[in-house]
Amino acid sequence: MSGRGYRTFRGGVHPPTHKELSSSKAVTQAPVPAEVVIPLNQHIGAPNVPLVSPGDRVDVGQKIGETEAFVSAPVHSSVAGTVRAVEDVRNFTGAIVRAVVITADAEQPAFAAARMKPVGELTADEIRRLAREGGLVGMGGAAFPTHVKLTPPRDKPVDTVLLNACECEPFLTCDHRLMLERPAHIVEGLKLLVRAVGAERGIIGIEANKMDAVDGLRAAVSSEPGLDVAVLDVKYPEGSEKQLISVVTGRKVPPGMLPGEVGCLVQNVGTSVALYEMASIGKPLYERVVTVTGPGLRSPGNFLAKIGTRISMLIEAAGGWAGEPARLIMGGPMTGWAQEEPVASVVKGTSGVLVLTPELVDARDEHACVRCGKCVEACPMFLMPNYIAEAAIREDWAKAEMYGALDCFECGCCSYTCPAYIPHVSYARKAKAQLAALKKR
Amino acid sequence: MAAGRFTLAVSPHLHQKGQTIERGMTDVLIALTPAGIVAMIVFGMNAFYVMLVSVLTACLTEVVMRWVLGRKHTLRDLSAVLTGVLFAFLLPATTPLWVVAVGAFLAVGVAKELFGGLGRNIFNPALFARVALMVSPLWLYITKFPRPFFYRTVGFFTPVSVAINNEVAGRVVYRGLFGSVYPDVVTAATPLSLLKSGKMLATTISGPTPVGSTWVTVAGRPTFWAQFLGVHSGSLGEVSVLALAIGACWLLYRRTIDWRIPAGIFGAFLLVTLVTWNYPVFSLLGGGLWLGAFFMATDWVTSPMTRRGKWIYGVGIGLTIALIRLWSPLPEGVAIAILQWNVLTLLIDRYVAEPRFGEVGRSWLNRLPPYPKPGKAEPDKPVPAN
Repeated sequence: MSGRGYRTFRGGVHPPTHKELSSSKAVTQAPVPAEVVIPLNQHIGAPNVPLVSPGDRVDVGQKIGETEAFVSAPVHSSVAGTVRAVEDVRNFTGAIVRAVVITADAEQPAFAAARMKPVGELTADEIRRLAREGGLVGMGGAAFPTHVKLTPPRDKPVDTVLLNACECEPFLTCDHRLMLERPAHIVEGLKLLVRAVGAERGIIGIEANKMDAVDGLRAAVSSEPGLDVAVLDVKYPEGSEKQLISVVTGRKVPPGMLPGEVGCLVQNVGTSVALYEMASIGKPLYERVVTVTGPGLRSPGNFLAKIGTRISMLIEAAGGWAGEPARLIMGGPMTGWAQEEPVASVVKGTSGVLVLTPELVDARDEHACVRCGKCVEACPMFLMPNYIAEAAIREDWAKAEMYGALDCFECGCCSYTCPAYIPHVSYARKAKAQLAALKKR
Repeated sequence: MAAGRFTLAVSPHLHQKGQTIERGMTDVLIALTPAGIVAMIVFGMNAFYVMLVSVLTACLTEVVMRWVLGRKHTLRDLSAVLTGVLFAFLLPATTPLWVVAVGAFLAVGVAKELFGGLGRNIFNPALFARVALMVSPLWLYITKFPRPFFYRTVGFFTPVSVAINNEVAGRVVYRGLFGSVYPDVVTAATPLSLLKSGKMLATTISGPTPVGSTWVTVAGRPTFWAQFLGVHSGSLGEVSVLALAIGACWLLYRRTIDWRIPAGIFGAFLLVTLVTWNYPVFSLLGGGLWLGAFFMATDWVTSPMTRRGKWIYGVGIGLTIALIRLWSPLPEGVAIAILQWNVLTLLIDRYVAEPRFGEVGRSWLNRLPPYPKPGKAEPDKPVPAN
């Protein structure tokens, strides 16, 4: 396999990447849907309050939900149209969330670029305010509000900003396309991030299977002091926050701590571009690149989709079903959420829509653990996934914590490599929820 | 085309190709093939019959036991076949076939199924059965090893009792059911029993030497090449270091086994034998060290899972083997050493802590956090189903 032999971390797995399905497809604008469903809560943190009510006219980029809470991010309308309803819908995880449903006008005006202060003159506070105003969240999937990350505590200064360009999830190519098509914007965004936290350097961490993107990024950073590109081994989960920090800087974030603990800040390349767009033309985060791919689709591709677009529309844009679709996933195949029907809508953290066929899914009945230790060897956090699963089955939460349940970030390496087909991740999730409840009391 | 409802499942939605229990077992079976072929060359059809009866009995036992215990059939995972082959590898080629069947039943029926099936067994089934026979009245049948190239076939019911008194100059007379006497089996001392009995220094031994001097020195002990290629007395699968090494390479290449366990065993064993200088090379190549280190100690179910655990387990086994071989009355100790450490495996996994990612100064001991006992906690809100 190409892209091996570079710097990497201990643990992890090497799933086939299948990126060739969509990596050569340039980003195209997805058709504007007749109706968008925009969940008010697309991030980790406090829920937003709707700012519009049914019957209101909204414009592209107009703020439609906000809250006073610090750990939160506002949402914006992705279309010009009329609010039809503010109602409860089921989001991609299956949870019930409040959403604004907007009927889009037949004619969609282009986004009117606002007059902004020159990007080079923005202060740290202004950048943070822009990140908040633009509704920016981590676009790699976790969707943590960006301005919160850009506000490190005073006693823990950040000296290194890492731009996560690994895209280690198989199938996904949205970040790869961004890097190929807009390397300059990525680097501009990175400069803003570096300035916002007062860091000394910014490093773009990228997997070695995207050497074409590396060339473009290297050219873009060559004239920028303090910025660099680090080429890393192709291994999953290379793009996990803690793993990326350790590979690039050699620093290890202690269990239960955040990257700020070791003076690092990690942001996704998509977030970097979004920050630059907000800072340069005042465009909030209301559309994003989504990879719509998989052997169950006729013509996979990368689409610039409005937030709130139902995924059924993206599937149509990708040529519709092909072969024998067996599983529909929002996100990547290792951490994404399976969908029963293509009804959920694209949110800020949606990186992909994936349709797998039966030969790739390979679902089997769970066998008793044979203690082969492959999950222990694969775990990038050095936990004992099989013992966590066993403890969860017996509802022994203390033991689940002893074997590391709280350090699990659900990358799925354990289940991927398990010969007994044990769904460790679902057990670990259960244990984590129970332990969180236990800690509260 | 409108697709209907898709199945829901928890991530990850991909699975490593070919990473199944059957594939793991198949890899070990492939790795054992060279040793099996050598066994059939050196010990003839006897070896084949022993393997055949062992595998058939193991499979039959698994089917019957799981049916009796009301469990799902698991013959397809090939673990019974593997146990059968491994058990056969631990026996002399001249073992009466009914004894083979009894042992294979003990391995699968008792050591595996009664403990809860594959994954729940504490002992390596094949080693358990072998040691169980050793301490049973049947011990004589499995402690007399035929000379290489002794090809006379022993049948299923042939020997019912062995008269130790009849052992004259390396000949064992098997007595039949009704007083009939069956063909002699010409036995020979294994390299390790030579070592233990202090005959290493003897200049000649009595009895016929069936093969030329390529294999046996004047002093009557196997040459380096005899040990390396497998032309000496011993149990079926252990004789050829070369064949076992080829199989080990396959297992390491396929990552079916972890290199740390054999590394720990060989390292610790060599350290002791080199320091004491007790025929280190002869001892290294003789006996079941290679079979044990690569195929028995590395058994998934009965070995530790963490890196630290694997080192402790491997080094522990290596030291125990050296101790038994050097300072106990037994000539060989691989089986007993591995079984001892099988028992400790669960303790190692439970108590020996592996430092987590980013953790410094973690103690070596796992401690339980202070929470209520199992099942007491109720979550504040239900956990999402997906």
